Amino acid sequence: MKVGIVSWGAYIPKYRIRTEEVARIWGDDPLRIVDVYLVDEKSVEGIDEDAVTIAVEAARRAIRRAGIDPKKIGAVYAGTESKPYAVKPISSILVDALGLSNNVFAVDMEFACKAGSEGLVAAIGLVKAGQVEYGMTVGTDTSQGEPGEHLEYSASSGGVALIVGRDGVAAELEAVYSYVSDTPDFWRREGSPYPMHGEGFTGEPAYFRHIIGAAKGLMEKYGYKPSDFAYVVFHQPNGRFPVRAASMLNIPMEKIKPGIVVTHIGNTYNASALMGFAKVLDVAKPGDKILLVPFGSGAGSNAFVFTVTDVVQERQKTGVPTVEDMLRDKIYVDYAQYLKMRKMIKLFD
Amino acid sequence: MKDVYVVGGALHPAGRHYDKNIDDLAAAVLDKAIADAQADIEALFVASSTAELGNKQQLLGVYVLESLGLDKIPVFRIENGDGSGGAAVVAAYHALRAGEYNCVAVVGVDKPNDVLSNQQQDIYATTLDTHFERYFGFTPLSYAALMAKMYLKKYEYKYEDLARWAVLMHAHGAGNPYAYFRRPVKLEDAVNSEVVSEPLRLYDVGPLADGAAAAVLCNNKKKDGPRILSVTTSTNAVGFNARNEYDVLYSLEEAARSALKKAGITPRDIAAAEVHDSFSIFGALALEGLGIVKRGGALAALREGDLPVNLSGGFKARGNILGATGVYQVVELAWQLMGREFKRVEGNYGVVHSMGGVDRVSTVIVVGL
Amino acid sequence: MKHESVPIYWRNIPQYYRLVAKRCKKCGAVHFPPVVRCRCGSKELEDLELPKEGKLVEFTVLHQVGTDFLKQKPLVVGLVELSNGVRVVGQIVDAQVEKLAPGAKVEVVFRRVVADGKHGLVMYGYKFRPVGL
Ligand SMILES: [Zn+2]
Repeated sequence: MKVGIVSWGAYIPKYRIRTEEVARIWGDDPLRIVDVYLVDEKSVEGIDEDAVTIAVEAARRAIRRAGIDPKKIGAVYAGTESKPYAVKPISSILVDALGLSNNVFAVDMEFACKAGSEGLVAAIGLVKAGQVEYGMTVGTDTSQGEPGEHLEYSASSGGVALIVGRDGVAAELEAVYSYVSDTPDFWRREGSPYPMHGEGFTGEPAYFRHIIGAAKGLMEKYGYKPSDFAYVVFHQPNGRFPVRAASMLNIPMEKIKPGIVVTHIGNTYNASALMGFAKVLDVAKPGDKILLVPFGSGAGSNAFVFTVTDVVQERQKTGVPTVEDMLRDKIYVDYAQYLKMRKMIKLFD
Repeated sequence: MKDVYVVGGALHPAGRHYDKNIDDLAAAVLDKAIADAQADIEALFVASSTAELGNKQQLLGVYVLESLGLDKIPVFRIENGDGSGGAAVVAAYHALRAGEYNCVAVVGVDKPNDVLSNQQQDIYATTLDTHFERYFGFTPLSYAALMAKMYLKKYEYKYEDLARWAVLMHAHGAGNPYAYFRRPVKLEDAVNSEVVSEPLRLYDVGPLADGAAAAVLCNNKKKDGPRILSVTTSTNAVGFNARNEYDVLYSLEEAARSALKKAGITPRDIAAAEVHDSFSIFGALALEGLGIVKRGGALAALREGDLPVNLSGGFKARGNILGATGVYQVVELAWQLMGREFKRVEGNYGVVHSMGGVDRVSTVIVVGL
Repeated sequence: MKHESVPIYWRNIPQYYRLVAKRCKKCGAVHFPPVVRCRCGSKELEDLELPKEGKLVEFTVLHQVGTDFLKQKPLVVGLVELSNGVRVVGQIVDAQVEKLAPGAKVEVVFRRVVADGKHGLVMYGYKFRPVGL
């Protein structure tokens, strides 16, 4: 019995700010910044958007693509690190915004950028157990970076929703493997507006150790080799990390490139790897195997292997906007507009 | 049924009356109207749009009476948004017609300048559907703009044609000692004013002003004053989204048809009209709704020259005194027919159009000598 | 914080989130906002979720706004005809106004409408966004 991704929906806000515009404000050399991070521009949410609205848009698209009755979705998880509320769930807003039934398991998950993919694990578990017919997870963020700090060059906004089930599976889950340790590479304290990070420490001990740990662990345990995969998608905090992770695993560039979106929209945190995954699903062919490895600081990775089924072709023809469509559909803003839209200008309460 | 006469009236100049509380402002003008009528009043009808939301005063009538030391007089608070004034006159008229009282007063008062301009927008927007229009940021101005846009397109007018409304209002307002603006303006001033909600510009918007007006109405004619020949209030209980047409004031159509019929006059008999032009487009639509010009013809008529409409200067020049405006209009019209404070109009009949919200409720009052 | 009414927001969530209208079982008329009695006289009304796409009938760019929208002005607001013919008013977002015209295809989106200060409720609702502009 197949269990896997029935449908996917992605949402990228329409606004973009160029790396050179941010660099202009903070006295950085834009060419150097682009060279270091391989981020040309990043997505910016509109003034009336937040992690909730982004999640709703992505989830609606996933439901539209699936063509299922939303009342059949028995679990909904939101993974984010930019909740508009410290206490009050996004997932319950999703329940009413999407028209789900009230008999639904719902929770917001937090594990830096990994939470959305952890929701996928949880949803798969419920479907496999026969507890729910369909489950949904949404990775959504309007991620923060302190102005003038290097994180600002990549922290961006977007969301991806995945619907999991047994019926109409477009990408069957073959294997999943986790790798978690207490590695404080990046954090945001309660009440703190921006995260802190360990600069280079986010690399070797954090990103690479966990991504490679999960990917290698999965391949060893289940007997995969890099040549099995048509596409490989990693978490992409910048353009360099996923490329280097691929080379560490002897995965050729052409397998990783189709899933890289960070260059055009920055790091959408919980939607980062999932956006790459959605982009790949938009074009994948039946029989393709996809290795997906999200990463969350703090730190952990889940490695997933999916095999694309015939259903994918049907899902690709639903008229739901593709990631590629959204990468092209953009309005540039300057730094002042960006501050206004991100509500970073101090106003009367 | 008894006849009803306007036997006394008083107006307070429209403006920014930072130095007066809402009850005192109303009391001052009521006192003058009672003195003018030389009659004792038996009931007080209070028209206001925003006394509660803007000035934090319920039971306003009682405090107005307290300010004047008048005890034991029944008070009735009438709220029909910016059409409260007309509605209060209607309530008073019915009481007098029935013979319940012989003399009553209607006082209209609003003080929008007691709150900030954006709070005025908040409060004015509560005349719209609060859950599905105000909530999403709509204001009366935004609807007026949409209607103006559709009207101009449908009848192939240029913006300039609409801008003539403001020019005419300012020309008329110059002759009204109580008007907020008493100076003429040029068409180019209107055409070049800032866009507030395209196609509407600043000059298409009646400025919100503080003010109070009072009328004493009696059903036994002790003193000279025109008679209220008929009143009709009608509503348009259809949301903006569900309207059939956007170039018509439905609430006015029925009110006008009925009131003119009851008064036994035709639109041609109207020597002067005071219409609810909170936004220029409503003035044009009101002319059409009253049958003074044909549908789609208001701006063409405006091009031809002067029209006996809003000799007060209308909302643009007299000012938009929200719920008080209808009372202003009745007193202004009575005085225009009598040649008191205003130049006497050529004719014996005039009409008032008082509207609440964006074509949600309209009152037409026909006054005759 | 202005202390917006939570119950008012809560009870309108089906409309704000999913445009749940009322359809008359007798004559088929669709009412949005919902009503309790149809113009035909019937009180037999059922919920109907309105379609999520339509076209722009007319719009304006509003520069004078209330306190809730002071930091979002100008607001593009308009009248939209949904694909089943039902008309709804709302904000038009993400629009390049110079490209906007009556007849433009729009879709329903879910957006923040009002935030009750920094500490109060964030209230969401439908808005419209041009498609393919
Ligand atoms: Zn019906």
